[in-house]
Amino acid sequence: MRKILIELVISVSILLGVWVLLSQVDWMKLFNIEQTTKSTEAKIGDLFWDLLSKSETEITSVSVVSPIDSMLSLICTKNKIDRLKIKFHLLHKDEVNAFALPNNHLVVYTGLINACENEAELYGVICHEIAHMEKNHVMNKLVKEMGLSILISMSTGNGNSEMIKGALKQLSSSAYDRKLETEADLTSVDYMVKAGIDPEPFANFLYRLSDESKNLPQQIYWISTHPESKARAEKIIEHIQNSGFIKAEKGDSLRFEGLKEKVGGL
Amino acid sequence: MISTEKFMYTPSEHEAEKASNSYIMSLIAIMGGLPLPIINLLATLIFYLGNRKSTYFVRWHCTQALLSQFFLLPFNSAGFWWTISIIFTPETLSSKYIAYIITILIFNLIEFVGTIYSAIVTRKGQHIEWWVIGGLTNLICKSDEKNID
Repeated sequence: MRKILIELVISVSILLGVWVLLSQVDWMKLFNIEQTTKSTEAKIGDLFWDLLSKSETEITSVSVVSPIDSMLSLICTKNKIDRLKIKFHLLHKDEVNAFALPNNHLVVYTGLINACENEAELYGVICHEIAHMEKNHVMNKLVKEMGLSILISMSTGNGNSEMIKGALKQLSSSAYDRKLETEADLTSVDYMVKAGIDPEPFANFLYRLSDESKNLPQQIYWISTHPESKARAEKIIEHIQNSGFIKAEKGDSLRFEGLKEKVGGL
Repeated sequence: MISTEKFMYTPSEHEAEKASNSYIMSLIAIMGGLPLPIINLLATLIFYLGNRKSTYFVRWHCTQALLSQFFLLPFNSAGFWWTISIIFTPETLSSKYIAYIITILIFNLIEFVGTIYSAIVTRKGQHIEWWVIGGLTNLICKSDEKNID
């Protein structure tokens, strides 16, 4: 019996040893998997944005876009995120919605800005979407829902327009799974804390809009497609308490008030 | 890894054929069992149950073929569930995962070659014992005087 046990331990050790040895090889690089994924992501992201930009009106006015640009720059600088990789687009639409597309396209609707009562709320939503980008949730969701082969065929120009529209709809008007949403929420709180922005208004925003969405669910996409908003807000509050963030009495910048006025006047 | 041992009696032609078939059965099982590990066990278990009242030589080799499936089953199952988690959860493809799949492919290939060799040698009436599995089979499968020709 002892001999069998020794032989068994040796066999299992050899197997695990082979695994450990083979793990030293960077297979992802060797098989060019990361490169293929990155180039597919870039092509798909641009494909989605092309489609979206044709059907929606993008706001390019510097006076409107630059305050949000400054907000983005602050978040990125404080969290060591490459600002240049994020392609920000502000679209003129009443829906309360914001979403991330592959290849770091960040889309915000003017309806969202109108729905925010202060800049911290907008910071919260933007940080949440950046978290989806940084954690690679966008491509993960697409790969899981559509399959890598379909995405590659779309990126090589073989996908039909209905398929591309369907995929875009998935990203713009449906939530990620609960685990990913929670991860993005908590990461957004970390981003805000590092940037010195109070994350509590973000939780309040979720509370407030989850009540309002009962009356206008089709308008408030960002909330109606993100289920259990109240439970998420509670998790955010809990995470803020654990992060040890000290609230500073800091009012909204005039920039945000000005931004809201300009967006309202569009 | 596989050693030829002297069996307590010389098996007949019919016994050698049946014993060899148990390995052929597990060969088919390995092919189906890598993507879906439970097939390994089911196929060899059915063959084992069908021959458990057979002669000692046949029973011994059916048991060895069955136990050989148990060795890689946990590793294949881990690979199977890891793959499922990559497809259906936020888990992503990694070098560690690829290394694991290559490892279990190598060990399944070794088992595959070992099984072919066992089927050929057993068909000739020779008795072979696998590393770990042979000793374990000796513990489980006891000779029955009535079955010895």
